[in-house]
Amino acid sequence: MKRDFWRKSTIAVIGGGSWGTVLANLAAENCPEVRVWLRDEESVRAVNATRSHPKYLPDIKLNARIRALHDFERVFDGGVHAVIWALPAKACRERAREAARFFTGSEVLLHATKGVESESLKRISVVLEEEIPCPRVGVISGPNLAHEIATGKPAATVVASRFREVVEAGQEILSTSKFRVYGGTDVIGVEWAGTLKNVIAIASGWLDGLGLGENARAMLIARGISEMVRLGTAFGGQQSSFLGLAGVGDVIATCTSPLSRNYRVGLGLAQGLSLDAILEELGSTAEGIQTARTVWVFSRERRLHVPIFERVHRVLIGELSVAQALDELMSEPVSQDISVS
Amino acid sequence: MHTIRATEEPVNRKTGSHPAIRFEQGPIPRGPLHDLNAQLPDILKDVVSRSFAEVKPDSHEWLLSEAYYQERTRIRREAKGGLAALPTAPRRMRDRALWGKVQSGLRRNSAEADRGELTRAVIKHYAHEIGGHFNPSIYWVATRLVPYGFSWLLNAASVRRFLPWGMTESLASRLRIVGQIPHLQKLARKGTILLVPTHQSNVDSLLIGYIIYLMGLPPFAYGAGLNLFSNPLLGFFMSNLGAYTVDRQKGNPIYKAALKNYSTRILEQGIHSIFFPGGGRSRDGALEYKPKLGLLGTGLQAQIHNLQAGKQKPNVYVVPMVTSYHFVLEAKSLVEQYLEQLGQHRYGGPTPSEESLPLARTAKFFWNLFGSQTGITARIGRPLDIFGNFVDEEGRSIGPNGTSIDPQRWLTTGGELRTDLQRDQEYTHRLGRKLVERYYRENTVLSSHLVAFSFFSALRRKYPELDLFRFLRLTRPQRSLRTDAFMEEAARLHRAVLDLAKQGRLHLSEELMTENTEAWVKDGISHLGLLHDASIVKIQDGAVWTEDMNLLYYYRNRLSGYGISFLSSTDRPRAPGELDEKGFLA
Repeated sequence: MKRDFWRKSTIAVIGGGSWGTVLANLAAENCPEVRVWLRDEESVRAVNATRSHPKYLPDIKLNARIRALHDFERVFDGGVHAVIWALPAKACRERAREAARFFTGSEVLLHATKGVESESLKRISVVLEEEIPCPRVGVISGPNLAHEIATGKPAATVVASRFREVVEAGQEILSTSKFRVYGGTDVIGVEWAGTLKNVIAIASGWLDGLGLGENARAMLIARGISEMVRLGTAFGGQQSSFLGLAGVGDVIATCTSPLSRNYRVGLGLAQGLSLDAILEELGSTAEGIQTARTVWVFSRERRLHVPIFERVHRVLIGELSVAQALDELMSEPVSQDISVS
Repeated sequence: MHTIRATEEPVNRKTGSHPAIRFEQGPIPRGPLHDLNAQLPDILKDVVSRSFAEVKPDSHEWLLSEAYYQERTRIRREAKGGLAALPTAPRRMRDRALWGKVQSGLRRNSAEADRGELTRAVIKHYAHEIGGHFNPSIYWVATRLVPYGFSWLLNAASVRRFLPWGMTESLASRLRIVGQIPHLQKLARKGTILLVPTHQSNVDSLLIGYIIYLMGLPPFAYGAGLNLFSNPLLGFFMSNLGAYTVDRQKGNPIYKAALKNYSTRILEQGIHSIFFPGGGRSRDGALEYKPKLGLLGTGLQAQIHNLQAGKQKPNVYVVPMVTSYHFVLEAKSLVEQYLEQLGQHRYGGPTPSEESLPLARTAKFFWNLFGSQTGITARIGRPLDIFGNFVDEEGRSIGPNGTSIDPQRWLTTGGELRTDLQRDQEYTHRLGRKLVERYYRENTVLSSHLVAFSFFSALRRKYPELDLFRFLRLTRPQRSLRTDAFMEEAARLHRAVLDLAKQGRLHLSEELMTENTEAWVKDGISHLGLLHDASIVKIQDGAVWTEDMNLLYYYRNRLSGYGISFLSSTDRPRAPGELDEKGFLA
């Protein structure tokens, strides 16, 4: 490959939530042109006029190389080299279908969506491959609280793909002096890790809501990762991915940050608020709610022992209170600490 | 010249009392293979230079010693005569001469004996062994003779007086060619075809050659196992109809490179080719679930080279084909090999022997095949591009959502059209996965398959706790069932496969398109493994039993991988080729 190929390339970012916007800003440090697709025209105008994202990141200045657009035609005009996909899970299939005809097939497609398609349990990379004629797909996942990265605090992430060139593209496009991009090949493991940790984050919110302290959180994280491994390997992922940035790394960040939406759902539940009230206050959904339900169905079918995931789901559907759930978890029979496989 | 009707219908449905007349004798259409003789020197030269270029300069010593070590072992084994895969005498002489030279070369230091030159000599030797025996004059005769020979066999074997078992079925019921025939015929003019059939029997290659002829396509090149060349009759057919030799005994990297480069090079030449992606015949009787990707990947390389060279018809199309037989003559030795390898000490059966194919046996085989084998079905599957996408009749790759795919785009990396080892491996993986899926979907289930599957399933219900090897050793009285228990299971599984057929997950032969369980069961039993010494499923006096559990397992496995197998616990779904917790193919 020609040297600096990626440093001279045009990047499209699909979706301008906070994470999409931050990824666009990272890419703009390395690439001459970054086009961000946003759903509604108004946001496009606002972003282009203010050079910031008034809704999600009002205090962050956008790189001058970024241009916001609202139609795919113009985003893909003249060809782009890499597409960074940062839409919520539930919007992925529909948008992919709309965007399909604009892809030429030589692009590298990286998605940063943490979640899976509900019901079908399909991973986002599978959804994209089913809808878009673009085989070179990868995933970006890790402990990446958008706001921290936007303000230049150090962080790292994983780009996983079965294609080495996709990993290289992710590293070339997104690496900065404050942001490290590690590579991997276990797409399944990385995608499931990023999805499953949201459920653990909800439980972590409980602990803080009841003021149960740091030992309890450490217990939750360690036991939660055991369950994530059990689920993730049943889905075909590799155990090791759960020990890396996308697994342990992301769980710790999400379970300890009050910025995480899933954590705030848990916190609200522990404070006795109803799920509807919490979601209204959040102004958006939290992926962990849907994930808890789909995983629950799966773990029952496969008879997987995942007590934390089970309790989170039962609290979310109103079957248990947070206190009851914690009581039940504390009275689970104990066995080997590490018995993941 | 005959052509095949452009429909989804079987090719030769309607026949008169003398079926072979249906197959008019047409000349074999000219294809690029006809010119192989003129191009062979160039091709072999390219193969040598490409393979040589792939060797890293500092690895000659290591590669040569590895090759030498393996070859010495092989030659010794052959000298003992234990193997059927004996090369012919002149080939053996050349073998010895070469490895003698390599041996003495490796003993001297590299200043005296240039390692590069030795490697080149080895590659050259291999290249000639693989493709260097094409003989245009024999080819000329063979291409004119073979269709007549086949027709004669079909004719003669269908005459009642020669058949002690009194079979008088028309040819139509013996060989059904169905599926995407016109599509394949069209694509053969738009690019290079890579036909990838399932592989059950040594007879496949000849049958497929004949089917290609019936479809009006020019002869295909094909990589045949060296053991087939040791049989004079088969060897004659093969080496002169575009077959090149593949010796699976030779696993060293130099040989593999030469083989791949030969295959790539003839595909670039526009010579349609056949690979068996299963690697060899199915040992367990199941459809292919673990494709070998080495040769499969040469299609992609050929297409990349073609695109780079700006050729007019650069595309290589991958066409799956699934043949279904009621009986496979080699079934017994195949399944014994499978079981011995799987079970080792737990397999208590006889040591399997690799059956040789002497002339008389081969002749008998064909006689049996055409005389009594009924209902061979060959389904031409939906053609794919080299990445596993479907292609339309114009040869364009179809993507999701009505998009069309430009292969050149998929092969562009870092802004340029090029090969990329890791990317291409991944594409070939993708193709392999897609092929397995297609094999299961393009499979035609015959009545005999479902009979074997049903009986096996009903028997397992009786002994759910037994693992595979204990189950296969059931005693005679133990391996019988009341007829109604069997019939009930047969009806249930029949409904299950009808459902699968409705979902497009497999095809059913005509005999199975009935509501009448007894009718298809009777048909199935009468055909199942017809020429084996043992009855595989037998109904008598209100009981059903089998005389050979291993063969029953072999034929039953054809329907494994569809999620309809009996499982003693259902903890998770199984992919094709996976074993259940008791060791049975799920």
